Amino acid sequence: MRDITLGQYYPGNSVLHRADPRAKLVCAILYIAAVFMCRSALAFIVIIAATAVSIALSGIPLRVLLRSMKSLIFIIIFTAFINLFLTTSGELLFRFYFIKIYSKGIINTIVMILRITLLIAGSGVFLTYTTTPIALTDGLEQLLAPLRKLRLPVHEFSMMMTIALRFIPTLVEETDKIMNAQKARGADFGTGSLLSRARALLPILIPLFIAAFRRADELAIAMECRCYHGGEGRTRMNVLHLRTPDFAIMAFCVILCIAAALINTYIPIFTLIG
Amino acid sequence: MSGIRLDGVSYVYSAGMPYEKKALDNISVEFEDGKMTGIIGHTGSGKSTLVQLLNGLLKPTSGKIYLGGTDIWAEPKKIRSVRFRVGLVMQYPEYQLFDETVRSDIAFGPRNMGLSDAEIKERVVEAARFAGLDESLLDKSPFELSGGQKRRAAIAGVMAMRPEVLVLDEPAAGLDPAGRESVLEGIRRYGRENKATVILVSHSMEDMAEYCDNIVVLSRGQLYLSGKTSDVFRHWEMLTKVGLGVPMITRVAAELRRLGVPMDDDIYTVSGAVANIAAIMAGKEGGSNA
Amino acid sequence: MSAKKPIIEIKNVSYSYESIDGRRISALDGISLSIERGSFVAVLGHNGSGKSTLAKLLNMILTPEKGEIYFDGERVSGPGDIDENVMYAVRRRVGMVHQNPDNQIVATIVEEDVAFGPENLGIPPQEIRDRVDAALAAVGMTEYARHAPHRLSGGQKQRVAIAGILAMMPECIIFDESTAMLDPSGRAEVMEIIKKLNKERNITIILITHDMMEAAMADRIVILNDGRVYADGTPQEIFSQVDRMRAIKLDVPETTAFMYELSSLGLTLPRGVFNVRECAEAVAAALFAAGKVRV
Repeated sequence: MRDITLGQYYPGNSVLHRADPRAKLVCAILYIAAVFMCRSALAFIVIIAATAVSIALSGIPLRVLLRSMKSLIFIIIFTAFINLFLTTSGELLFRFYFIKIYSKGIINTIVMILRITLLIAGSGVFLTYTTTPIALTDGLEQLLAPLRKLRLPVHEFSMMMTIALRFIPTLVEETDKIMNAQKARGADFGTGSLLSRARALLPILIPLFIAAFRRADELAIAMECRCYHGGEGRTRMNVLHLRTPDFAIMAFCVILCIAAALINTYIPIFTLIG
Repeated sequence: MSGIRLDGVSYVYSAGMPYEKKALDNISVEFEDGKMTGIIGHTGSGKSTLVQLLNGLLKPTSGKIYLGGTDIWAEPKKIRSVRFRVGLVMQYPEYQLFDETVRSDIAFGPRNMGLSDAEIKERVVEAARFAGLDESLLDKSPFELSGGQKRRAAIAGVMAMRPEVLVLDEPAAGLDPAGRESVLEGIRRYGRENKATVILVSHSMEDMAEYCDNIVVLSRGQLYLSGKTSDVFRHWEMLTKVGLGVPMITRVAAELRRLGVPMDDDIYTVSGAVANIAAIMAGKEGGSNA
Repeated sequence: MSAKKPIIEIKNVSYSYESIDGRRISALDGISLSIERGSFVAVLGHNGSGKSTLAKLLNMILTPEKGEIYFDGERVSGPGDIDENVMYAVRRRVGMVHQNPDNQIVATIVEEDVAFGPENLGIPPQEIRDRVDAALAAVGMTEYARHAPHRLSGGQKQRVAIAGILAMMPECIIFDESTAMLDPSGRAEVMEIIKKLNKERNITIILITHDMMEAAMADRIVILNDGRVYADGTPQEIFSQVDRMRAIKLDVPETTAFMYELSSLGLTLPRGVFNVRECAEAVAAALFAAGKVRV
């Protein structure tokens, strides 16, 4: 079984894998902004090229990226259809009873599919495939640290994430044990009406919740025993340091953003929308 | 008679995957009817896999498991009925308690069997008695009970199905000495009164020596030793070789033999050792006078 | 006992809690104990004897209803409010390893968990790194530093938990039934480390257990029963009182029980022996002396 706490992490040692999670978070935000700024075909070509370079840098096989699209295929098809059939501007190209397709609809559809695909590929390459959830949590905590001044519970949020990641495998294992114990007493999870199947889950859910609360209680005591008292005055063993490659990838994304904006304004060739 | 028997059983986890792991390798063993058999072995020796195979929670990768002469997997759809005949108490069973009262929790198994209300009622009381759970506790919430009482309630939940084979994985783990004794006595009582076959997994050699008639030793997924308790503990050097201990008193007896005291080589309980010394003293009395 | 200054002194401490049906149940009933610095004390007793309450009082998860607790001669806990700064200072100096290995590991990577305590203390990063490396080495888990804790065995998890406490550089460690959920090899691993920490680093050890053989490794055994000190002495002194142990349904080691039974057959045997070899030698010697067996 794959380690569930690793999420979609694809082990590797590329520049992107080694980059500081904060830099990658910044990159992901800039990249998303760039994708949404694209309005012309040229801008899209630039960003597709940039994405291709990033994928190559990350060393993530294309099939792995495509696999993640598979789960989102319905959303892509759904938005595509909405754009295709509900856009009513531009030239009327096709008509079949009440179905009308306009030129603008086709363009919108293409833009939509491109954007979603780029977003999935980009966020995957910058975040989910190259960063473990735990590194991501650390990155978020340190990136958002200034917000603590606004009394936002940044540390608490990150602590919760860490504990959740730590206990997911434990609770998965626990669920498995409880299910087996109830099956040994003749519990039947697979047959009957929907209602009776839902009821059959109670003998699993109740012990599971009780176990989770018991664990939470014991963990809280154990944490207190180790002098935990919130984020105040706390230091970290691993302090993140931004290094040259981190600045390089961030600069790359800033340039991408500026390029997208400039192309839209100054080289409006093949403007698609807006 | 229950006649539970494994014939060439192997079990492989994640078969066909790069990280496949052979947990049990060609095990053939028969558990003596109406007797208590202990299974010992290191963590990772395959004990937990074995107990889950016995009641059909796992299906052997190869080989067959017979219960009363029939292959339990002959009709996979009827595997649930096998689980009623081979009761399994898993490790830390108190974590399976869920119902509002202890009574209805113990009744969960019998209800799943589709028994009549009157029958269920009778079985719950009977199981509570076997498990050593006071009747006054039956109408409490299981979550109000003490740790040891919860354990006994969970064991009663399996006993209430009145299985002809009762399998328990470390039923006394983590309990204090008084709790251990009460749980193990209850299991023995169940076995004797119902003429049931009891299969007990434990790390405690002292408990094995005290309660089990036969012992099966697993090591790295293979059957390493099996036989009467005294015969198995006689091979204490073999047990030590695979990192298993023998009861302390067995080691004392071996040490005494080394020192020239003619102790028997099948000592595994304190009372047995004392009787042996008494016999030696009585027997040698005349000898030394002559 | 020697004149060394006690590290922990408990004076007349009582504690009770409310049961689920509203009755007050006394957990500790006016107990007094003095723990010497550098000693290895086992606290033995049934569930409900007050053992765990005692542990929680010692590192200030609970405060006594009556009586006082002194650490290093300073009063740190008593009825009423407690000083938070004192509390954190005590928790740093008195570490605690709990029963369930799973429920005391916070982080998803071994070394980050070990760093958790020092991080809470606000230690500079480089020093945390050094302490974590040293603590992992002390429990023999260096090669697992980057592993995920949930993949480790029970014994290994407990070793990580011990490393997490060691990284806070405590003077005393309380083990609250830390071996109860482990298999025999896990127990042996943990007991080995406990002995080493006591002998080599002079860390005061309080081992709460209901396993007689583990208690036998200590210098001193304190038996609690119904919230009171029932017996207190060296393992030899404790195990020589077989009747008293049996009266409260505590096991004695098989060797001790064996020799006790043999005494009633008329053999003269020393009391309080529990080591296998010593037991066999004593029994053989007694048999030879009585002329029952010829060499």
